[in-house]
Amino acid sequence: MAGEKLNLDILQKDVAYTGEGISVKSLEDEISEERDVQNVKVEELKVLRERNVEIQKSLADEVGKLRKFSDYINGTATKGGFWAGFKEVLSHLPGLKNIAISQRSIEELLKQQYQISARRVKEAAEYVDTLKKSEQDLYEEIDRINGKILEAATNEAAAADHVIELKRLIDEIGEEMQTVEAGSVDARDLEAKQDKARAQLAKHSANLQLYSAAEDRYANLKTNTRKLVETIRNLGQDIGQYTTAASIKLDMASAQIQAIGTAADASVVMLELKKSLDVMTESMNATTQFVSDTQVFFRKNLDNLITELDTFDENTSKLLDENLEFSKQIEDERIERAIEKAIKNRAERGDAPPAGEGA
Amino acid sequence: MSTGGLVALHTQHLAEPVASTYLDLLGRAIRSARLNKTFPERRQLDGTLRALGAKAHHGLYDGIYLDSRWGLPNMASFTRPVADQGVGAGALAEYESQAELDAKADQADVFARMAAKRRYFELLQTLTLAPVDEHRVLLRRHEPAEARASFRVELTKLSGSGAYLRVVIELTQTSSVWSHKLVDLDVNGEVASGTEALRGMVYRFASYDAETLFIRLHELEGVQVERVQRGIVGPVRFALPTEHGVVSVLEAADDLTSAAWSEACAAAGGQPLMMASFGSDVAALDVREEKSNDPLAPLLSAGIRDVERARYTLLRERHPFRVYKDRKFVASRPLVAGIKSACNDAGCKNLIYPLR
Repeated sequence: MAGEKLNLDILQKDVAYTGEGISVKSLEDEISEERDVQNVKVEELKVLRERNVEIQKSLADEVGKLRKFSDYINGTATKGGFWAGFKEVLSHLPGLKNIAISQRSIEELLKQQYQISARRVKEAAEYVDTLKKSEQDLYEEIDRINGKILEAATNEAAAADHVIELKRLIDEIGEEMQTVEAGSVDARDLEAKQDKARAQLAKHSANLQLYSAAEDRYANLKTNTRKLVETIRNLGQDIGQYTTAASIKLDMASAQIQAIGTAADASVVMLELKKSLDVMTESMNATTQFVSDTQVFFRKNLDNLITELDTFDENTSKLLDENLEFSKQIEDERIERAIEKAIKNRAERGDAPPAGEGA
Repeated sequence: MSTGGLVALHTQHLAEPVASTYLDLLGRAIRSARLNKTFPERRQLDGTLRALGAKAHHGLYDGIYLDSRWGLPNMASFTRPVADQGVGAGALAEYESQAELDAKADQADVFARMAAKRRYFELLQTLTLAPVDEHRVLLRRHEPAEARASFRVELTKLSGSGAYLRVVIELTQTSSVWSHKLVDLDVNGEVASGTEALRGMVYRFASYDAETLFIRLHELEGVQVERVQRGIVGPVRFALPTEHGVVSVLEAADDLTSAAWSEACAAAGGQPLMMASFGSDVAALDVREEKSNDPLAPLLSAGIRDVERARYTLLRERHPFRVYKDRKFVASRPLVAGIKSACNDAGCKNLIYPLR
């Protein structure tokens, strides 16, 4: 019997792919699912960005009122001195726009403003934890994607090994066929085995391509997820640093704010007043810097990231389209070759063409 | 941050676990004092002191800030649980369940922190907290035919001196004199609200004697004041032994109890000590005898300079009220005898409750 030296066990080999198997459609579906997860996070980030802007604005507004107030008391804000600027600053404090200055207690107003500012700092600190939680969720997502990448890489290696084995077998069968009489039983048997090997080669080479594509695409997803994590982490760190500083400043300034209020109520400018102004100004400067920095940060990074993700979407679809096109082309060529072979076989056997087919 | 040191103007930081020891002692002192409605609400103070402790916030904060003159939590500390309560009410809806957060607590610091915060926020939703400031105006009696209404005005305030106090004013206003209108009634004549003028005036005068506020309000045309009373929590002294030494109030004013305090501290032998006092100050038409039974606060008349006395006497003759001041103490047992002796020496007979 011909082909006794051939290792035909390869044809019976069950290649141990991990996971749930792969096809163009399943890969497309899985990538799409992963992209959905990423899209959700990007949407979350957009919401977080909007919330961040709100909190920043509110923080800057509220703490800024304290600053303005201290500037006026300090006498640096107006040429007309303390009382000249006083009326204006009161218009920034809650419920004061239409009320005569003498009616309200400055101490009370400042304390109200202090409490609003403290509340805003707390909200910002809460927002930091939301960002940190989101960051942790994305680390979990990266772990999951890494699992997928590892699985695809392992399967790609297994497919590659098997494809090489099959290719070698096909070549060996081809060589063996040279040793037997054409059209003989042995030749037909070898041909059958070669066909089987080719069929398996087609299947596993497709797997090889798909697992390779999957590995690349998951790697791209991971890159973008990492960018998201970095964006969120940087933002969280920036706000965290600011809120910690602002919170400490407010804690330290509480007695001084009360002192300002009491002194203003008593129309007495005390030494304590001057001391407190320095602390408040530091806090205000930190606010201004923070607002400016993080807004620029968001403008620069998040928008770029979203654009990159959009591009990634385009690239992914393009790649998938190309793969589909390529597969279709291979399939067409294969069908074409099969038809050619069928026509050739028929011609050799002298069969008449089927009805409707031209002469 | 080391514990007990001054960190800013009149601001003293108590780090844990000393902070919790202090809060526990102060809570017990306030409960022992049997405060009536003259004083800020005990339940609210209890809530705030509880919220400030490590058992409530599970280590989210490293301590508390006190007023280094008066010995009570300062504005930053009073504000903290109130702000957290507000933020927590909104945040809880977005948090995962306690079981889920506890399960993830080992995965990352943020989950451990959120697990602690969830417990803290849940607790805060159940507590009534002491406000930094609170105004209320209650209608006592309305006589439309006489164009007259009687009100009770209440102000709770953390004052600039570090004291936590309550001012209650009972007054009658005749509405024909609109130029001095202090209280607005709604269209049905049932709900009263203080005008900004009243609010501002009471707020500014809250830190002064009841007598001063009585005179200021009573001089307004169309306003008859019946009673002004103030209830003041503090000052508080404490001595809390730590491994680095004894932590105490750093800027406490000297007063008649200082000697007794120093003696008790010297003999304390490592035991924590606390002394809290609760002053009341009433200026009212129905006070029988003008007197100060408060060894820490003499009557205003006792401090009037000779050049002012004639004007003061004339002023008092125009207003038929009398003033009564009193003070009660809560103190660790080693202090009780010394405080009693100091009060007796000042001619006062004060309630002195042992700290339980």
